[in-house]
Amino acid sequence: MKLRGPRVEYLAFRLGADTYAVPIGEIREILKLPPVTEVPRAPVDIVGVVSVRGLLVTVMSLRARLRLTAGDPSRKGRILLAMGAHEEVIGLYVDEVLQVYRLAESEIEVAATVLGGRLGDYIVGIGRPEGALLRLLDLRPILGRTDPAARDAT
Amino acid sequence: MADMGDKAREEFFSEAHEIIEGLSRDLLQLDSTRGKGPVDPELVNNIFRAVHTLKGLAGLFGATRMSALSHELENVLDDLRLGKIELTQSALDLLFRGVTIYGRILAVEKGTRTDALTDIDQFLRELAELSEAQSDEAPISGAFYELDPGLLAVLTEYEEHRLRTNIEQGQSLFRLRVRFELATIDGALSSLKTKAKPHGEIITYLPTGEGAEADSIELDILMASKASLEVLRSLLGGEQTQIEEVPRRSRAAKDPVLVQSRPGSHGPPEPTGFGSVHPPTLPPRPKAVAQRPGALPKGAASSAVAEVSLRSVTQTVRVDIRKLDLLMNIVGELSIVRNAIGRLTESVRKSPELREIGMELYRLHRGFERQLADLQSGILEVRMVPLGQLFDKLARVVRQISREADKDVNLVITGAETEVDKLIVEELSDPLMHMIRNAIDHAIEARIERERVGKPAVGTIALNAFQKASHVVIEVEDDGKGIDETKLVSAAVKRGLLAQEEVTELVHREVLNLVFIPGLSTKSDVGELSGRGVGMDVVKTNIGKLGGIIDIYSERGIGTKFTVTLPITLAIISALIVQVEGRTFAVPLASVQEAIWLDPAALRRVEGQEMMTLRGATLPLCRINELFSLTSPGKPKARPYAVVVSVGARRLGLVVDELIGQQDIVIKPLGPSLKKVKGFAGATELGDQRVALVLDAPALIEELFLGGADAAVGSGFG
Repeated sequence: MKLRGPRVEYLAFRLGADTYAVPIGEIREILKLPPVTEVPRAPVDIVGVVSVRGLLVTVMSLRARLRLTAGDPSRKGRILLAMGAHEEVIGLYVDEVLQVYRLAESEIEVAATVLGGRLGDYIVGIGRPEGALLRLLDLRPILGRTDPAARDAT
Repeated sequence: MADMGDKAREEFFSEAHEIIEGLSRDLLQLDSTRGKGPVDPELVNNIFRAVHTLKGLAGLFGATRMSALSHELENVLDDLRLGKIELTQSALDLLFRGVTIYGRILAVEKGTRTDALTDIDQFLRELAELSEAQSDEAPISGAFYELDPGLLAVLTEYEEHRLRTNIEQGQSLFRLRVRFELATIDGALSSLKTKAKPHGEIITYLPTGEGAEADSIELDILMASKASLEVLRSLLGGEQTQIEEVPRRSRAAKDPVLVQSRPGSHGPPEPTGFGSVHPPTLPPRPKAVAQRPGALPKGAASSAVAEVSLRSVTQTVRVDIRKLDLLMNIVGELSIVRNAIGRLTESVRKSPELREIGMELYRLHRGFERQLADLQSGILEVRMVPLGQLFDKLARVVRQISREADKDVNLVITGAETEVDKLIVEELSDPLMHMIRNAIDHAIEARIERERVGKPAVGTIALNAFQKASHVVIEVEDDGKGIDETKLVSAAVKRGLLAQEEVTELVHREVLNLVFIPGLSTKSDVGELSGRGVGMDVVKTNIGKLGGIIDIYSERGIGTKFTVTLPITLAIISALIVQVEGRTFAVPLASVQEAIWLDPAALRRVEGQEMMTLRGATLPLCRINELFSLTSPGKPKARPYAVVVSVGARRLGLVVDELIGQQDIVIKPLGPSLKKVKGFAGATELGDQRVALVLDAPALIEELFLGGADAAVGSGFG
């Protein structure tokens, strides 16, 4: 297959048994799991708050946010720091960080044809590099951001 | 690029704000001295300069409405300082209104407020009318002086006016010749001005352009004073300063001019050294000095003179408060490092073979600890601003409102120098303004009424600030009619905010605290009944947000006093660290009264609410684990504690498992994604990277007493 279009780097991670990915430009930092302080009365998808070098960061469980089945935190769990709405840095809890893939436009199936429903709003495409199956997420609706798409900006 | 623009705009706003504040201060001073002797020309000049600077700033930033306003104000002020119009009450009112309009324009420019500002044009017309109403200056009368035409020729219109005014006031004129070192002329000249100020006015100064050495300059200073030559000589004279009185021309002179270059035949003996002796040496303008190469280093005289007026004396730097927050964060991180080193040091000291290194480490750690504490208090100090800034604004409000309400009110301020964190000052301005407005509108009686009850016709509002340990106390006290408790209680009962049977249980303090209940105090009719209390619930909430408390004391017919107690800084507070079901929480000590062991025998339940009796009074209890649905596998605690928190006169016992201790903490707000979560003032780091939530005692009290039902929320996202 001929690869066309600019290539974008995606960070792949695991949620439950499935693999997801976001443009790596969206992720500011990957953290090993620091002690998380739960916040009573917080929305269900909020895990709690952590301190990242003095900055108080709210951590969201990406699995809960995508309405996936719950699972216990694993030792491989990581927090991805991304920019949320109102310039707030949000931590996204994922079960495991896998690797970075470079995907060309032609390697991405547009998701609207694949999925429907709520998940359909968040998944913008499916990438199939090297036999893997990546569900490509758009973090903007997930984090309540309203900026234009950053997917092609890398 | 956009960043640069934003930054410059920020600068513009903060600079404009600062200038407007100074302007308002000067106007207030002008107001207080009006009618008590001649107006201080320096004050009018300051005001003129402030407006002029604002005009320049506004032009730079394309704030056209502000330019237009400044332009008209400038005209009026110029006429004022030239004596073309008189400083009347109405002129002063216009100037005060100008300050208010500046504030509104800034808010609109900043986008924090929408305001059509439709009344500006009308205001500008009024200003224009005022300056058109000017009178021509009366012809000069009084004594005539022997002054060089060279000097007279270079007087500006303003200086001429000042000269004339001083002469009319019967002042004598003096000329001072002072040699200044070029390197120190700024300071020396201003110190001379300061010394001269109590005794007279310096009208003008020019370089003499003669006898100058390379590193010095001689100025010829014209001064008006009531003091005698001897007095001035002893005050201002010195090796570098020679003072002569300018001789008066005989009144018999027919020529009605102010001065004449040569003494006439009637003149007193010619003085030596000054006045008319050196007419040609007085250059008409500093420019002329530059035309005399050789006399001075190239341009030195003119540039020195220019610097006198251009260089500002301020040593201050304006800093964005967020930058200080950032520094504070770094200090917070450093203290975590400090704690870690402390633990390490302890373990090293315990091992016998490392004892020496341990001792050395211990000493280093102690030093580090001390310096970190200094750094922390240094940064906190930078954040502190005197309350005087805020009080000046309030003084303006008092002036305006009392005129609107047609009441004579005297504002007495003490403790304006008391310093508080900048953020607190900002948040404090609305609540205080509200309290003062209430005091004038509702508490202070009308003039006739006051006289009838034997009070002075002029009401007094006292604004007192002072520091008390790590808190600042601000009192707002009036000598008005006080709160009618009976009417307050019956209004509360009528509105169903209080059950009839509860009335008898209320003590004096509790009755007064009814003014803080929302349903009651927002009703203006009750406000009038009670003498005070419009929107006092909002005031209390805002002060609660700052970690402060408000208390009230009132006596019928005598007056009302509100006492606001605030932490000095929001950045660092003392907190009680507690544990509930294995989770750590911090409770700000500002709201903690005491912590007591919970005696199971003292517990009872009233309508589902757990209570206990504490020293005869009923204390409602709130079990934190139940409130936050916290569970842990551990066995129930045998000896829970109640942390008694209070806001105003309301108390609540927070039931916790364990008291860990007291600690200074840096509160950080929860992010926007958690802003709907109620009950927490923020979070703090306790070391070991552990984050503890800070309980918001005022919010919890409100929730429990007033049934803040919407405490639990759904998803904060989309």
